[in-house]
Amino acid sequence: MEHWIYTITIAGHSLSLNLDTIFTMWFAMLCLIIFAFIATRNLDIVPGKLQAFCEKIMSFFWGIMDTMMPGKNKQHVPLVASLFLFILFANLMGQLPLRIIHIKEGELASPTNDINLTAAMAVIVLIYYVVAGIMKKGPKFFLHDFSFIGIVMALVELLEMVTRPLSLAIRLFANIFAGEILVSILLGACAYFAPLPIMLFEVLVAFIQATVFMMLTVAYVSSATGEEH
Amino acid sequence: MEHLQLAQLGAGIAIGFGAIGAGLGIGIATKGLMDAISRQPEVAGKAMGFFLLGAALAEACALYAFVIAFLLLSK
Repeated sequence: MEHWIYTITIAGHSLSLNLDTIFTMWFAMLCLIIFAFIATRNLDIVPGKLQAFCEKIMSFFWGIMDTMMPGKNKQHVPLVASLFLFILFANLMGQLPLRIIHIKEGELASPTNDINLTAAMAVIVLIYYVVAGIMKKGPKFFLHDFSFIGIVMALVELLEMVTRPLSLAIRLFANIFAGEILVSILLGACAYFAPLPIMLFEVLVAFIQATVFMMLTVAYVSSATGEEH
Repeated sequence: MEHLQLAQLGAGIAIGFGAIGAGLGIGIATKGLMDAISRQPEVAGKAMGFFLLGAALAEACALYAFVIAFLLLSK
């Protein structure tokens, strides 16, 4: 898929921006921000419909954190919840008919079909769990026993710092990207009703991929801050 | 052969071998789900969630191969 690439030059260094990804990303973020702003007005002890719905969402995240990471875990809920909600909104936005708005190049589809966005989120998760581990354990986070097993474990964990963000980024990107390619191939075969089952499946994939990203983030953070990792 | 034809061959081989692994993985996951449900029918809802998670993780391996195939073709 082509992206609408805009190149700016700062002090001799060129910087290319994928403008269609930025537009759709901000659209998803604005949806979330406006929803959160409306939902947090007029909070009451007896919740209304909207407040009860949002409390249900938050208790869903707290339940997941309690099952995956027992103990003191409420400080990690904001990252996990915003990752899940943003990825869910971004994935579902690919099913909206935004493509009828023509832009210069590329198309307005889900922003997660650009690997730059998913890679940025994966790097943020990497930095978050390393910093959380260092704050919990200090320099002992990187150190192991001075034995053969300890040295091998330290090397394996060094390797995991590369492979974990790589697999997180490519998994989300490839799922959404493959779905779009599949829909466009079926559109070429028969434009009426043929891609409909695949588009319904893409809605399921959007939920599953957001859940997978969130679950892996929770697993990484809990293994970094746990007693033995 | 031309350069592009070899790339197309490579892309086909890549996605084919990638699909073998993902197919085996999802098959084994489905077998586990069926075993669990037939032993204890009351855990069906809970097992289904874990099955979808595991199937998505297994399916991602085929999608890595898909990305490689697409990179080969887009030269």
